[in-house]
Amino acid sequence: MYRVILSCGWALIAALTAVASESTVVAEKPPAQRARNAIDRWNQMSPEERERELAKLPPERAQQIRERIRRYNQLPPWEKQALRERYQKFAQLPPEKQEIVRRSVRAFRDLPVDRRGLVREEIGRLRALPEGQRNARLSSAEFRSQFSPPERQLIRDITAYFPGQLK
Amino acid sequence: MNCPMEHRKPETLVAYAAGELDGETAASIERHLRVCPGCRLWVAEQAALWKTLDIWEAPAVSADFDRRLYRRVAGEVRLSWWERLTRTLRPMPLRQILPLAATACLLLIASFLVQQPDQLAPPHPGAGLVRADQVERTLDDLELLRQFGAGNQVEAPHADTM
Repeated sequence: MYRVILSCGWALIAALTAVASESTVVAEKPPAQRARNAIDRWNQMSPEERERELAKLPPERAQQIRERIRRYNQLPPWEKQALRERYQKFAQLPPEKQEIVRRSVRAFRDLPVDRRGLVREEIGRLRALPEGQRNARLSSAEFRSQFSPPERQLIRDITAYFPGQLK
Repeated sequence: MNCPMEHRKPETLVAYAAGELDGETAASIERHLRVCPGCRLWVAEQAALWKTLDIWEAPAVSADFDRRLYRRVAGEVRLSWWERLTRTLRPMPLRQILPLAATACLLLIASFLVQQPDQLAPPHPGAGLVRADQVERTLDDLELLRQFGAGNQVEAPHADTM
């Protein structure tokens, strides 16, 4: 009986230690796993708190945000996780580089459809290359001849800063 | 001589009471017993115990003892694996099982919390408030990353916005 009580005691101590060290364990996880972006934190707020925040905006804009969050929450878990990880990497960039990524992607969106495909393929190829070969390709005559200066710039920027793999 | 009881060596007295000591050691014990009432009492009790054991006779074994014993052994051998497994738990009283079960549950919950800290965490009112415009900016960035990162959506970037 004494041994049983003693074993239970040890087990309880172990369990409590595990619970107490929860935050430590979470902190030791890779950044992508512990990443909690503003949307995740928003989802953790109570409905009253969310509505209180949204009430500070014009009703139409508040409704748009509600709708966009609903769509984000409806993404398949795997996609949401991948996006979360990519955002975590993006958020770790300095603000000026984040701005470069935003600008480059907007510039990419504004490209004609036929150019978008070429640019995207080029970015994919470059990102797969080791740094030395990538730099050689970026300064090659062939590269210059295939892409316009704005295209070359956005290819450079996205290749350098866009987080995660391009599928 | 050192007192065997004080030095936690009662086996010397046991050997003396059983008459197993050599003459010299036995004589020294006897000298000690004359001056030590504690050891004297202990030896007297031990001697009484030996005497009782000497006169005790074991009850006779019944005629069919062997037959019943072998039948019972054979019964044990025929137990199924489930009976053997549950048999080990059967004599354990409920008050011993309950703490074990509670501990197991606690361990399960603790490991779940460690693995999935978000799943059981309730909303934290007032903790980590996020402004709506902050959410909007994050949504913009997420949308941008999603549209550019997913190959099949690049050609129609506004088809599935968040």
